[in-house]
Amino acid sequence: MINTETNPARVIRVLVLAAWLVITVFPLYWITVTSLKEPGAIFSYPLTYWPEVFSLENYVGLFEKAQFGTYIGNSLLIATAAASVATLIAMLSAYVLARFEFRSKGALMMAFLVTQMIPAFIALGPLYLLMTQLKLVDNKFGLILIYIAICIPFCTVMLRGFFANVPDALEEAAMIDGCSRIGALFRVIVPVMKPGIVAAFIFNFVNCWNELFLSVTLMNRDQNKTIPTALNGFITSYNIDWGSMSAAAVLTIVPTMVLFAFASRYIVQGLTAGAVKG
Amino acid sequence: MAHKTSMAGLGLGLVAALALSGCSGEASDGSVTLQMVESLTNPARTEVLEGLIHEFEEENPGITVELVSPPTDQADQKIQQMLQAGEGIDVVEVRDITVGPFSTNGWLADMSGELEDWDGWTNLTENATKYATNADGATYYVPYGFYGLSLFYRTDLIEAAGFDAPPASWDELLEQASAIQDPSKNQFGYAFRGGTNANSNVVVAIEAYVADQLDPDNAFKLADGDTIFSAPEAADALETYFELFEKASPPSSVAWGYPEMVEGFSNGSTAFLLQDPEVIATVEQSDALTADQWTTAPLLTGPTGKAIQPMATAGWGTAESSEHKAEAAKLIAFLSEGDASTTFTEKNSLVPILKDAADSDFYTTGAWASYVTMNENPDTYITAVQPRDSSWWTEWIQKSDAEVQQVLIGQMTQQELLDSWDAYWTDKWKND
Amino acid sequence: MTRTTIDLERPSSGTGAPGERPSDRAGAPRGSLGGSGRRRVFTTRKGVAILGFLAPAILFVSVFIYYPMISGSQMAFRNWNLTNLTDTSWVGLKNFEAIFANPVFYTVLGNTLLWVLGSIVPQLVIGFAIALWLRRRFRFRGVYQALIFFPWAISGFLIGILFRWMFNSEFGVVNDLLAKAGLIDSPIPWLAEPGTAMTAVIIANIWYGVTFFAIMILAALQSVPDELFEAAALDGAGKVRTLFQITIPYIRTTLALTILLRVIWIFNFPDIIWAMTGGGPANQTHIVTTWMINTTQRGDYGQASAIGLIVVAILLVFSAFYLMAIREKRDA
Repeated sequence: MINTETNPARVIRVLVLAAWLVITVFPLYWITVTSLKEPGAIFSYPLTYWPEVFSLENYVGLFEKAQFGTYIGNSLLIATAAASVATLIAMLSAYVLARFEFRSKGALMMAFLVTQMIPAFIALGPLYLLMTQLKLVDNKFGLILIYIAICIPFCTVMLRGFFANVPDALEEAAMIDGCSRIGALFRVIVPVMKPGIVAAFIFNFVNCWNELFLSVTLMNRDQNKTIPTALNGFITSYNIDWGSMSAAAVLTIVPTMVLFAFASRYIVQGLTAGAVKG
Repeated sequence: MAHKTSMAGLGLGLVAALALSGCSGEASDGSVTLQMVESLTNPARTEVLEGLIHEFEEENPGITVELVSPPTDQADQKIQQMLQAGEGIDVVEVRDITVGPFSTNGWLADMSGELEDWDGWTNLTENATKYATNADGATYYVPYGFYGLSLFYRTDLIEAAGFDAPPASWDELLEQASAIQDPSKNQFGYAFRGGTNANSNVVVAIEAYVADQLDPDNAFKLADGDTIFSAPEAADALETYFELFEKASPPSSVAWGYPEMVEGFSNGSTAFLLQDPEVIATVEQSDALTADQWTTAPLLTGPTGKAIQPMATAGWGTAESSEHKAEAAKLIAFLSEGDASTTFTEKNSLVPILKDAADSDFYTTGAWASYVTMNENPDTYITAVQPRDSSWWTEWIQKSDAEVQQVLIGQMTQQELLDSWDAYWTDKWKND
Repeated sequence: MTRTTIDLERPSSGTGAPGERPSDRAGAPRGSLGGSGRRRVFTTRKGVAILGFLAPAILFVSVFIYYPMISGSQMAFRNWNLTNLTDTSWVGLKNFEAIFANPVFYTVLGNTLLWVLGSIVPQLVIGFAIALWLRRRFRFRGVYQALIFFPWAISGFLIGILFRWMFNSEFGVVNDLLAKAGLIDSPIPWLAEPGTAMTAVIIANIWYGVTFFAIMILAALQSVPDELFEAAALDGAGKVRTLFQITIPYIRTTLALTILLRVIWIFNFPDIIWAMTGGGPANQTHIVTTWMINTTQRGDYGQASAIGLIVVAILLVFSAFYLMAIREKRDA
């Protein structure tokens, strides 16, 4: 690694990196501080950057008033299930798209790309009707199915790139030894690609965890709602309940943040071709 | 590999488990489950409803009610989807602005049959009865209460500014609010409505100024058939009204809708608020204001000493696709009579639908006193009906709100606004 | 995403990096595939196997994405308004005509352009800079990485709410800090004026989007072999030249495709704007997709679907030109 760096360059680098860190983290700091203030103190003027009185009232209220525990459970269940299955399905498709040539391949890849261009809203109404016909409205299973469908395109494309960097030699060796292709896929290639797969899974998980419009449209009863729906509920009713909302926001952000922190290593590693060295 | 396969296996297993559980239908022991969907959701009101529903269930052991509470912003859309899909909805909150479209599309059931023998009709106020039956004699909903505007104001702030009574007219409001306005202390005069439904307050101001010429059956019309926006007094109204924004409101109120206005008043930063009575309950819970710091005053009058009170309401109806219409009607009847109705209207501070409720202590004291004043002076505070049930009402709201904002940011003149609104309604009435 | 993800003509051997490929297709032992990588149609058994692998993905995407989309699209050619569903007759292009005749549409298009460009350029530049600087080892790099990547993990809607609170004129942190720093003497009504509102939403979007570029580019950069840098240094190339003549060309494909994807995503991203300003004031922060939501709110699904189709058309055309442009550059 080339280490020559002039001092001014180093100062700039450190300054900018530090500044960006502050900018990135500040909103999180602000909302956490807001959530820990007493509800009445949120509108104190002049603004206070540190709670005068620490209070967990906002958090308690969440679980008492708003069934937040149920929502967390739902979000967790739905995101995990959808992300796992989507990653699995994407793996299968990505593998084939990386390894083989066939006529409709280009069209297929284009079809996946086009799904990214469709604004979700256009499909909401018909989707609701479709799910009603399938009797899957207001049903966690139905939402999971839709999330799987949504995650597949980008995940496939992402994994395809990783597969392309894994030499066929690996699975061919396994198949010569008597493995079926799919067995070779899972026993030999997947372990090599683990960081990439983990990265893909986390990407899907985060998307499902944060998805708002579809879950609001399809879930009716309170016991089926996910966290984003609950967040939406805080601002649109009587008034903007900033206290509860900031508490809910913190509870929503922290798990994903922890997950991301833990996995950021995997993500970068997984996206790097360098994960597969010769 | 094992890790990934087991992860996937877990995922599939979960999915399968849900597939089995997800297909659970309703109880098959002969009991009926009603799904009730509300629209103007707020946590306090949902709690009250749950309580009332519980009572109903105890009186009617064969019926269970599930309350669905979507967030207000999307609630009407969600209700539309459910009604269109024709499933999962029995009792629904119907608003005066949605009853038109819903009934045109055949989504609402006419309950006049089920409610024919209901003895609650005699107890309803005149307004309630009027709204419960539409022009063709059908009953698509029974109102649960009425909204009506009053002026919320800070007693301490006007005293400090040297006034001994709240403003009675729009001009006085301008005077008092400008005097109180002090941005350096984060103190503002009037909670201006520039965001969603900005048009409503503008129209109320205009109506007050043209009150003498107004057609009470259609508050957007003058007695001679022209729109109220064509009257010269309308321009005067706008002048005062927009001056309120310039001199007496916080700048961010350009985007203030209902939640922001209410919050502006209840967090103590704004002195005047023109709103419905349900705000009374919210402000009572405020952490920033004590009870002796605020109260309400009657609606503001125009230069001729009159004001127009636009009627707005919402109620409960039955979905045409419901398979339990009789039980649904029973629930609605329960909610529209006796203690249930009074509890609902009191807790949500709405104008009651029952005759005897209107005379109770609750409704004649404190912040409600101004409503009594308005009721007792119907020639000063004239109730009129706005054409809120037109099928283009939502389109009107979006158009007029955008144009109000354009005036606020200087992209449109007040006269252009009036001309545009005049043209819009004249055109719609011609085609109707 | 570091290798060619959507490369419609090259064989599926990944690409981009001369000399870096772990296995060179043409030379590797072939085993059951036989011949070179361009081998086409196989025995039906293999064909069936391929189909089998692809089937779940195709099934999900067709049923839950394409079917509703196509079903929804036909509303664009009908009179479909939820306020009166008794008449859903076919009206051909009338909805489209109404849209093109509406002056607001052009404002909205302009806003969208501003939104996309104003977001993506800073995101790219800052993201690139951060990725470059993160390549070096420094003491708290692990912690730093973990902390700055988190904005990506937050939903757009929540970000909108968060920044709305921070940009609040009376109680917002931004005004408070600016005042404390002596930069302004009266609070700026951020979300109340068109210019500042657009700036505010773009700032929120930049905060959010830098992370994606930083992650992707960092990963791409880590695949650049050190030998290249050493060779450049030996040749006497300075930092800037190295950057522009070696680094960027090396990761060009990844970069190009990441940008394309981000442009599409940003174009279609209503969450932040919707939560922060709802498209106001006076339609000045409406982008095409938030405007579409507005249209559905008044029940006009016919027009909303038409807008949706226009969006897909715009993005398709853009992507086509873009992909052609990169392919030409590569072949040149």
